[in-house]
Amino acid sequence: MTAYIVRRLVFILLVLAAVSILVFAITSLLPANVAYLILGPFAPPEQVRALEVKLGLNDPIWRQYLRWAGGFLTGDLGVSTLMNRPIAPMLAEAIGRSLMLTGASFFLIASIGVGLGVAAALRHGRALDHSVSVGAYLGIAVPEFFWAIVVIMVFASWLGWLPASGYEPPSAGFWIWAKHLIAPTITLVFGHLAHVSRLTRSSMIEVMQSPYVTAARAKGLPERVVVLHHALRNALLPTITVLALDFGRLMGGIVVVETIFAYPGLGRLIVFSIQNRDLPTLQASILVVAAIYAVANLVADLLYARFNPKIRYGRNVG
Amino acid sequence: MLEISDLTVRYRTPVGEIEALTSIDVRAERGRTLALVGESGSGKSTVALAAMGLLPSESVVASGRIVFDGQELGALDEGARRKLRGSRLGLVFQDPFSVLNPSLTIGEQVGEGLVHHRGFTQAQAQARAVELLDEVGIVNPAAIAKAYPHELSGGMRQRALIAGALAPEPAVLILDEPTTALDVTIEAQILDLLEALRARRGLAMLFISHNLAVVHRIADEVAVLYAGQIVEQGRTRDVLTRPMHPYARGLLAAIPRFDDRRRRLAAIPGRLPDLRAPPAGCRFLARCPFAAPGCEAPQSLRSLDARAVRCVRANELRDTHWPRPQDPEQARGARNDAAAVVSIERLTKTFTLGRGWRFSGWRPRKEEIVLRPVDDVSLDIRPGEVVGLVGESGSGKTTLGRTILRLIEADCGEIRINGEVVSQRPQRNLEAMRRAAQIVFQNPDSSLNPRKTVGALLARPIERFGMAPRAEVPARVRALLERVRLPAHYANRYAHQMSGGEKQRVGIARALATEPRFIVCDEPVSALDVSVQAAIVNLLADLRDDLGVAFLFISHDISVVAHFADRIAVMNRGKLVELGEADQIMRAPRHPYTIKLLSAVPRLPAA
Amino acid sequence: MSDEARHSSDGEPPAPRRRRWSAQLKVGAALTAAILIASLLAPWIAPHPWDTISMRTRFLAPNATYWLGTDDYGRDVLSRMLMGGRLSIAMGVSATLVSLALGVPMGLAAGYFRGWIDEALMRFADVLMAIPAIMLGLLVLAVTPPALWKTALAIGFVYTPLIARITRSVTLSLANEEFIQAARARSESNAYILFREILPNAWPPLLVEASLRVTYAILLGAALSFLGLGAQPPSSDWGLMIAEARSFLDRAPWIALAPGLAMCLLVIGVNLLGDGARERLDPRIKAGVGKS
Repeated sequence: MTAYIVRRLVFILLVLAAVSILVFAITSLLPANVAYLILGPFAPPEQVRALEVKLGLNDPIWRQYLRWAGGFLTGDLGVSTLMNRPIAPMLAEAIGRSLMLTGASFFLIASIGVGLGVAAALRHGRALDHSVSVGAYLGIAVPEFFWAIVVIMVFASWLGWLPASGYEPPSAGFWIWAKHLIAPTITLVFGHLAHVSRLTRSSMIEVMQSPYVTAARAKGLPERVVVLHHALRNALLPTITVLALDFGRLMGGIVVVETIFAYPGLGRLIVFSIQNRDLPTLQASILVVAAIYAVANLVADLLYARFNPKIRYGRNVG
Repeated sequence: MLEISDLTVRYRTPVGEIEALTSIDVRAERGRTLALVGESGSGKSTVALAAMGLLPSESVVASGRIVFDGQELGALDEGARRKLRGSRLGLVFQDPFSVLNPSLTIGEQVGEGLVHHRGFTQAQAQARAVELLDEVGIVNPAAIAKAYPHELSGGMRQRALIAGALAPEPAVLILDEPTTALDVTIEAQILDLLEALRARRGLAMLFISHNLAVVHRIADEVAVLYAGQIVEQGRTRDVLTRPMHPYARGLLAAIPRFDDRRRRLAAIPGRLPDLRAPPAGCRFLARCPFAAPGCEAPQSLRSLDARAVRCVRANELRDTHWPRPQDPEQARGARNDAAAVVSIERLTKTFTLGRGWRFSGWRPRKEEIVLRPVDDVSLDIRPGEVVGLVGESGSGKTTLGRTILRLIEADCGEIRINGEVVSQRPQRNLEAMRRAAQIVFQNPDSSLNPRKTVGALLARPIERFGMAPRAEVPARVRALLERVRLPAHYANRYAHQMSGGEKQRVGIARALATEPRFIVCDEPVSALDVSVQAAIVNLLADLRDDLGVAFLFISHDISVVAHFADRIAVMNRGKLVELGEADQIMRAPRHPYTIKLLSAVPRLPAA
Repeated sequence: MSDEARHSSDGEPPAPRRRRWSAQLKVGAALTAAILIASLLAPWIAPHPWDTISMRTRFLAPNATYWLGTDDYGRDVLSRMLMGGRLSIAMGVSATLVSLALGVPMGLAAGYFRGWIDEALMRFADVLMAIPAIMLGLLVLAVTPPALWKTALAIGFVYTPLIARITRSVTLSLANEEFIQAARARSESNAYILFREILPNAWPPLLVEASLRVTYAILLGAALSFLGLGAQPPSSDWGLMIAEARSFLDRAPWIALAPGLAMCLLVIGVNLLGDGARERLDPRIKAGVGKS
């Protein structure tokens, strides 16, 4: 088991290194002069040259990369070309706020999604199952930004219950802080709920039809025991993987949702940096996102290994 | 103890309602074992599920009473039935691996019946579980109780399952093919165990199987099922030595026997009737060689000679034998002492698994498991000879077959085919060898490309090796189909439109297409029912006689091998432990492993 | 004459295969076909030109002339929606084709050859999948002036690793089948085995996955257009329409609702179709997406 953990850690570090190269390569090697992108196509050549020197753009590519990557390891994420401020603290604040959002959303998605999936599977073929399936289709089909608009229309414009945008720190008061979180959270949760509940449902159905569940029933065990004790632990194992994947999609979702709700988190930062050609910020943000996702995957791997006896206990006795 | 009367069960499927069981009567009595015997589609597993009340939701019990210890189970509510299930009626399933929950320890799964039915605490149940594991012959039961299913071998898992079923001390034990997935030596041990348990605890056992020899070993009484009906029932010895119903006769004529090896097997032609609309009269009619005008009338179970038989003509057919194909005139294997077709010398193949890293303290160590499925094996096969290769699972026999054909690369050793050394050649220079040496696979569902018609499947090898000009290919395909006794129009069929036996025939035809001198048959009949098996074995025998092809016939079923082979090779853990003339090995084996293997095989009584 | 000659079949009858289409399949097919056809025929069935600006007819609610109302430039929403459908569908399909063209060979090679090829390709896929899809798309589109075809290309690139994984999974399960061993026993070349034995069996599950991918591609493309990185005005791409309609939600909700609902219906239709088709397929060949 220890060996497994170490292997996964090493793997993730390697992947992150590769991702950093990929991110750097995409932003640096595409045939577009960065300086012109920033200054516009009509900028005078001296200004362009000055900017190039300032950004170190005339160095060989690998040196630029090493400088950038090296900075990361020491906590220096570069300087935003848009706001002329160090990126690291900006990013840290944005991450904090996004984590509030994604944390709340993930918690809801995991608990409601898995719960619905299991419930639907247990009532396979009946009313609850059908409504969950139908709901799932809707959830998958509605794009996040559209759903966000509907939520704003209904809850903000029409009913006036929730603010349509913005953010207030917890220091401004719990309820005020929470109110700004609710609408974006609902938006995020709805779409992902569908995905998770669907996959949980099929995993659970498969387990309920497996031979060992039939065998447990053949022993005359009460149905409650069969489901909770025998079935659930095997059905939830693949759910861990699904939730990890979904965490990644959730992080993708905040890009659009934060933009629509003007929520000052990581997603909005990324969009701003794109719209304003702030490449250093973009690079740093994406790499940080990849790192967070990688950590989430690692946690999922560890949980999976912990609960799967085949990995935890490896070799044969008999 | 357990009495099932007039049970009729139907299944609703997307293609219609199938009547799986029709009016079945079964009794299991204390201290006695009743066996239910049938092939696939006979409905035998359904009986087990019905007795336990575990029929799936798509099923409908159209009629029948199940009475256990005086109580009618149908009259009880689900709660009461559940209390009986597992505590007074136990069920042991077929595949010991998938039936155990991979996430729970063995001890817990053995003991949970006690917790829920007898009010034991977890600790008490665990202690009792260890005792039971000991009783079923598991070494080191305390450690095993803490282990997980994936850590145990097949035999141990089955023992654990039996322990779990026995824990609540049931009065009736139902076993559904408990030894089918096990090696024959393990099977023998499990059967011994079951007999001892039955005697010791006075159980009533209902033993379901397709294997008549096993049934002979363990059952007092046997009921033969066909297409959902019991066609014959009586004392085991009687039914197996002098069967009365034509189907039972056919089955017994189809099984290869130790004592009468050269006798030609008799196959049962035709198919099961469509159970969506079962025929009103005898369901075996379409396949019965003794069919007569009276057989279309509904048949009932009648008493005859202390047995029950469902056949109108049973009495008059008493002394008639199942029609048997003629035994060949001369001893087979007209092998001249010409040069060997296949010759392997000191062939070895090693697999290295589990290249993981372990930590001893802080230092990482590389951990490897080395398997050697083929260990220094040497063998010659002469033209037209059949060499049977037997061994249990893990013996390496399949690996050997594929290594000879270079589908798996050996580590060292020499392979000669048709006199040419082929072991060192690069893969692209093996054309000539591949023409001369072919293979027939085990699993009919996997051996044919589902997207190709039979015609295309057979044409490919012909075209690939340039065996005939374009225009002649269809004629060749037809000839191949005829050789394997399939009608010509099958060339337009796809795999999913054929039965298992038919698919195997196509597989054999495909191997023959290149006109090889040597064919490796890798468990070619293991996935087939006994009645179908006989036809395929006969086909292979005829092909050997007509075409002079040499076979390496790989199987775990010694009876089949012994029936067909000239020489037999026995493998154990990669080593070839004994090789000799078939007669000699069967009568007087020398190596201890061979002796153990042969003594473990359950036998049928002489006819 | 032995009884063998009577053989025309042996053993149990094979399971019959003809089955009616499930309700799911029918509804899905109908819905998808309706939207596809409407979009394809858009230039001919659109009641008004989609790009004619007319300040007199701004913000009209749905009425007899303009069935879905007009937008802030007085353009007919229905016509714009139909034309936008062509764009979205074209984009989704082309993006998926790109991901198939790149991902299927990767998956085939990884699943068939195994060894270092498998490792290399799957690690590469892992690296691509380490960044959430939309962000990878943003990254690629950030450094070049936006255009719809670039968006399609970027999305294709983003989904390549997923297609590769699925293809690999299907290929792995097929490579274990005995008929592949039979082909090797005929000394068939790798190319023959891959393209004539494996691929024909891999297509059905891949096709189903691909059709579902089209819907995801459309959704992702709409999101990117919404953020300004896809279609550009005055195009009537659905995402762009919704983005432009944001400011007028209270006044004229129909401008956003129409394309949004159209997108939903298309995605639902294709999902129903895909799921229904998946259920009919040979259950032996499973397409799963797990951790490599």
